[in-house]
Amino acid sequence: MNRDLDDRVQLQRLIGAVALGDRQAFRKLYDATSSKLFGFALRILRKDELAEEALQDAFVSIWHAAAGYQLHLSAPLTWMAAIVRNKALDMLRRQPRGEVELPLGDYDPVAALQDTAAGPQDLAELSRDAVALAGCMERLAGRQRQAIGMAYLHDLSHSEVAAQLSLPLGTVKTWIRRGLDRLRDCLTNREPV
Amino acid sequence: MNLRNNEVLREKLAAEYVLGTLRGGARRRFESWLRDDALLRATVANWQGRLGTIAELGRPVAPPARVWNGIERRLQAASSPAPWWQFWRQDAARPWAWLTLAAGSLAVAMGVILAGRDGTALPQQVAALADARAHTALVVTADTKRGRLDVRVARDVQVPDDRTLQLWAIAGDGKPRSLGILPDNRSAALALDQRAIGPDVVLLAISLEPKGGSPDPDRPTGPVLYKGSWTRL
Repeated sequence: MNRDLDDRVQLQRLIGAVALGDRQAFRKLYDATSSKLFGFALRILRKDELAEEALQDAFVSIWHAAAGYQLHLSAPLTWMAAIVRNKALDMLRRQPRGEVELPLGDYDPVAALQDTAAGPQDLAELSRDAVALAGCMERLAGRQRQAIGMAYLHDLSHSEVAAQLSLPLGTVKTWIRRGLDRLRDCLTNREPV
Repeated sequence: MNLRNNEVLREKLAAEYVLGTLRGGARRRFESWLRDDALLRATVANWQGRLGTIAELGRPVAPPARVWNGIERRLQAASSPAPWWQFWRQDAARPWAWLTLAAGSLAVAMGVILAGRDGTALPQQVAALADARAHTALVVTADTKRGRLDVRVARDVQVPDDRTLQLWAIAGDGKPRSLGILPDNRSAALALDQRAIGPDVVLLAISLEPKGGSPDPDRPTGPVLYKGSWTRL
């Protein structure tokens, strides 16, 4: 937990230095986060060359936007991941329809973790927030996770999710809403007082 | 629809806004509510924190070296690799912009000096801090005899209640030093720290920080809003 806080403070310092135009800090920030962020971009875009371009776009934006980062609003990695997601979704929208297809399982955020959690080593690398989210996600039904993952990672609308899962629209809406409610309740209960 | 008193609806809309399933007119309407509802913005930020963590639930993959090379290339091509305080480098391509800024600062500085000529000592150093569009927002003068820094804030500078303006001295090597925060974000007299007027200080700058000032004592964490060169008279 202390390491977690140290990591966060370290990233905040680096972003602060990047805001002042410090190239070395920018390189350190890249080294500390690019593997996680590239993995994330790959989950959205699936193709290496697209994910590479999205990551480049994102880091160019991070360089320019660092002075506007507000640490009281978001954790540094969350802020960076939001930029990566925006760039990746922009890229996704520019692709011809049907060009980027994912097997359904890949939408499930927890399956993606299980797929990789080769051992305790990998789990130890996760932040406390990520461990909490994984735990709470696991308590949702598999398809509920999938629906939420699809919407978030692929920017799909309710009806697009419904079509992908071959389910009625109303069912999908309810699932997502209840899934988000349960997620919030679960995460709130885990948050330390 | 009264959103303010409907906690359940606020949560639902904020969650779906962040998830991306709130679309079209409903999304635009929600965004217009966000503009003047700080609590709703906080609810959205919470959801961004929760769902944003999804990014971490996957296998890290090291990107190939060409990604970093591409980033460096693009930052150089964008021609703004100069740090923000080296505005003379950023403006190298259009010297007139720098001239306008210099002329504006000089005019304001002269105004301050003349206004001060009622028998009181003249300031020894002065800076007019301007925003990116060369609009002067603050004037800082150093009075070494009385050991104080006078900061005058233009009337049209608006600061949110939960934020603070913090004054920094920037040395020639780019290292910032805090000179203090402005109480009430209005004009103030700060104690003159000798380090502030050291010969190495070339610039003064103002950043927008959480109440109480930058959590990092060594540098700003918020956006740098105003800056200007620190001129010896």
